Amino acid sequence: MAKDTGTSEGYTRPLRRLLSAMLILVLFGIFILWRIDSPRVERIRAQLVDQVVPSFEWALVPVTKAADMIENFQSYTRIYEQNQELRRELRQMQAWKEAALQLEQKNATLLDLNNVRLDPKYTFITGVVLADSGSPFRQSVLLNIGARDGLMDGWATMDGIGLVGRISGLGENTARVMLLTDSSSRLPVTIQPSGQRAILSGDNTARPPLDFIESPELIRPGDRVVSSGDGGVFPHGLVIGQVALGADRRLRVVLAADYERLDYLRVLRSLSSEQIVDPGSLIVPPEPILIPEEPVSEVENDTAGVESDNG
Amino acid sequence: MVEPWVVRQWTYRAGFTVICLIALFISLLPLEVGTGRWPGPDFMLAFAFAWVLRRPAYVPIYLVAIMLLISDFVFMRPPGLWAGLGVIALEFLRGREGMSRDMPFLVEWASIAGVMFGLAVVYRVCLAIFMVDQTSFGLVILQQISTLIAYPFVVLLSVMAMGVTKISAAEADMIGRSR
Repeated sequence: MAKDTGTSEGYTRPLRRLLSAMLILVLFGIFILWRIDSPRVERIRAQLVDQVVPSFEWALVPVTKAADMIENFQSYTRIYEQNQELRRELRQMQAWKEAALQLEQKNATLLDLNNVRLDPKYTFITGVVLADSGSPFRQSVLLNIGARDGLMDGWATMDGIGLVGRISGLGENTARVMLLTDSSSRLPVTIQPSGQRAILSGDNTARPPLDFIESPELIRPGDRVVSSGDGGVFPHGLVIGQVALGADRRLRVVLAADYERLDYLRVLRSLSSEQIVDPGSLIVPPEPILIPEEPVSEVENDTAGVESDNG
Repeated sequence: MVEPWVVRQWTYRAGFTVICLIALFISLLPLEVGTGRWPGPDFMLAFAFAWVLRRPAYVPIYLVAIMLLISDFVFMRPPGLWAGLGVIALEFLRGREGMSRDMPFLVEWASIAGVMFGLAVVYRVCLAIFMVDQTSFGLVILQQISTLIAYPFVVLLSVMAMGVTKISAAEADMIGRSR
């Protein structure tokens, strides 16, 4: 009997080792495939997450709500102080509301005077946060809306107040929102009132730093940070937060969005706007009448127009 | 007729799968969106390591590889790398199971610590070689430390509540024959 097991082990052990080695090779193969053809594997990942996470949804939502309830219950213990605090804040808010109403009226009249047209295309879709990234090294959340609802990669996502992140990774029913704090997030911003341009670069901390500031001496802690719309990634003027001086003497941004409580997020539909590619066509008249021969680099459209005019 | 030890083995394998899914589920809960927290322990690896040093048959390499690969995909890690390194570490510990049978717990803990930090360092080096952008090293070390702190509790839970004890000499004799 003992002899028998000895021989069977003699067969199985090398086979086992071979299979283990092959398994490890397959795993590293997947990694190298990901490194070579990242978009394809990321698409597979989005599909996989699309399959896995909604199957957890029935449990995710109640557990999250229960935990939130416990958290809220804890806050009942200091309800009196909170009440006082809220009253104080409410008084301040009423003053601000008055100011805001006045400003709104003023703004409306000024817009009317200038005949400004705001872009009517910015509508939004609201989604519920299903899950977070699950890893401390990645800052993202998963929404319950996806390609089915017409979402596209790169769209801006806000909570009620400020910008939260952008859509990065789409499944049929889910979409991943990369938060501004993620270490791969870069966003061109404008700092008001000085109008300085900078890049908000996430570094996995709660307060992302500002990089590439032209003249930092013009910026004070407390200045407002809004998206600049450079590069056509995001619309212009979405609220992001306020400048603060970090402990490491870097200028950082306190985000306006409440990252501790991301429940409902709105995704802004930003359909691609008209692009002005040829600066010359803005300045030069469409039909150069004074010049007898056509310049070679003329746009086809224009020549067609001239020909049809001639004929 | 199925032998009882076969049933036991498959029950524990199913149990390991359930533990992994629970760990996945808990870390996916959107309770702590935001940053600057102490990263939570990696329960999947902690259970795999604790069990492989006690009952290697309960954590077959394929099961652990599949679980780690799923977590790679879901946690937005580069897929395959962490799973591959985790499996190598698992096999390394599996080879040492015989030695660890009469090892005091502190020595076991220290060897797990060595494996964990080695894993983190090799992972970072691989990412650097393949030029994948990575997060701060401090966070990685903190996660390994919290896994190590959780490890004794994982072992306690496995031994007391789930009955994953070390193989005694008599049992070793029996298993050796039945395998």
